[in-house]
Amino acid sequence: MVTKHSQKKSQADGYLLNIVDVTKTFSGLTALLRTSFSIKQGQLKALIGPNGAGKTTLLNIISGLLQPDSGHTYFRGQDLVGVKPDKIALLGISRTFQLVKLFTVNNATVLDNVMLGAHQRLKPSILGALFSRSRMLKQEAEVKETAWEMLKFFGLELEAEGSPSSLPFGKQRLLELARSLMSEPHLLLLDEPASGLNDAEVENFAGILSTIQKKGITILLVEHNMKLVMNIAEEIVVIDYGQKIAEGNPGEIAANRKVIEAYLGEKKL
Amino acid sequence: MKAIKNSSWLLVILFIAIYPMTLGKLYPYHIPLLIIVGIYVILATSLDLLVGVTGQISLGHAGFFAIGAYTSGILSATYHISPPVALGIGLLISGIVAWVTGRSVLALKGYYLAMATLGLNVVIYTLIVGFQWLTGGATGLRDIPSFTMFNLTFKSYSQYYYIVWAFVLLIVGSCLAILKSPLGRTLIAIHSDETAASIFGVDCPKYKLHIFVLSSLYASVAGSLLAHYMGFISPDDFSFFTSIRILVMIFLGGAGTIYGPAVGAIFLKILPELTYRFHDYELLLEGLILIFVLVFVPGGLFRILIAMKNQFQNVRFAHWKW
Repeated sequence: MVTKHSQKKSQADGYLLNIVDVTKTFSGLTALLRTSFSIKQGQLKALIGPNGAGKTTLLNIISGLLQPDSGHTYFRGQDLVGVKPDKIALLGISRTFQLVKLFTVNNATVLDNVMLGAHQRLKPSILGALFSRSRMLKQEAEVKETAWEMLKFFGLELEAEGSPSSLPFGKQRLLELARSLMSEPHLLLLDEPASGLNDAEVENFAGILSTIQKKGITILLVEHNMKLVMNIAEEIVVIDYGQKIAEGNPGEIAANRKVIEAYLGEKKL
Repeated sequence: MKAIKNSSWLLVILFIAIYPMTLGKLYPYHIPLLIIVGIYVILATSLDLLVGVTGQISLGHAGFFAIGAYTSGILSATYHISPPVALGIGLLISGIVAWVTGRSVLALKGYYLAMATLGLNVVIYTLIVGFQWLTGGATGLRDIPSFTMFNLTFKSYSQYYYIVWAFVLLIVGSCLAILKSPLGRTLIAIHSDETAASIFGVDCPKYKLHIFVLSSLYASVAGSLLAHYMGFISPDDFSFFTSIRILVMIFLGGAGTIYGPAVGAIFLKILPELTYRFHDYELLLEGLILIFVLVFVPGGLFRILIAMKNQFQNVRFAHWKW
């Protein structure tokens, strides 16, 4: 059990996110079983594990899209269980999706997608759209400027007015990341951002991630690409069949027997 | 380019303003038609905000059209309340009904949402038929007075034409203002993917409800305008076939563009005037035209107009340097 006391303690220790004993089952199938770990403020932590280990389920629980059967997720000491996704977003948590979810209907452009990331800053309403247009237009211009900077940073400025679905897959992933950064998150959850990228793109992506981290954004990275993870993660959590089997720095993880077994199968003597 | 955009708006307004004095004089029969066209432009654009932009299908728009019409009709005919006040009370009732039903109905998606809104329309229709002492039942409500405001009575067609089209410009303008604002972007995000939208702090149920209420309010205005214009309304004007017809206008014109559904409404209301010469084949011809447009021009009539405009600009301004 986590008491008020330990919540305070965790904040004092500089933990941004505490995951405590999270269990989630889907009609009898256990996706996560009493998984616990913490992320420190400013850290880049990777979450790895074989397919179906429950990584995406955990991200969905943190972002409020799923509710755990038991356990808690604390963000700065606040319990996120039962809080709606949009309210969690307002606390400063943003994410990307394994299968990109970009806004494409009604000729929405790449720029529109990035600008939507600033929804929380604009807080649009019917009354605002109809009756305080000058204030709205001013805010909109500011957001547009930031959005352009973001597009330039990701090398997407030439495609700004195009449709996101016409972008190559690697750029769609970058666009998702740009959109998330527009919301100025404290914690960024990335769900396999490098899958489907070629080697050069992965290298570029690693650079982008460290730039983001330098801005003080804490990152939880779910990833299959071990080269990327070993290069940039400060700490790694490994889960298999919904349970945490190891946690430590990349060197420790690479040498961990349980991890090797999970990935390569048990050694038969 | 912005100047061109603004000036085309001014041209439209100017055309609407001088029409009754110029072309309207030549074809006086067209003015009553244009009043009805205006009312349907309001219905189509307001529903487009919900269906085309926010992506929430509704087969119940005629229900709120009915609430506006009957509130205005009953209050002004039976209780002799002045039409603008009756229109206001109609707005209030429509707003409350939309707010109360919207919360639960909009939790549904896709076909289920369509069914629930259709049900809403049927319930309103049935209540109108059932409360005969109040609404006149299936035989309709008669002797609804003309629209009066500040001691002015808008009795003649061209006077009422101005009232209706003033509302049309106001409502279409507000729908466009919403579409071209951060709110419009948020609504498109909801249409595209509610999960992804919520990750960026978009409270989807709240926004859907607000737009549902707004579009119902506009439908209610259209209803009030119809009641005072016709002087007689019957439940059949507001059955779910009307709702479907409004939806056809939206998809015919080009959903999610606001302009498109306005074009669709104008087209669908004027089409019978062009095909009536063919007597028995009128409906057949209308149906064929609809099928042709829907099959071969998925972007709707608005897309055709845009293509024509681009063609025109390319020819005319190709040698200009901006």
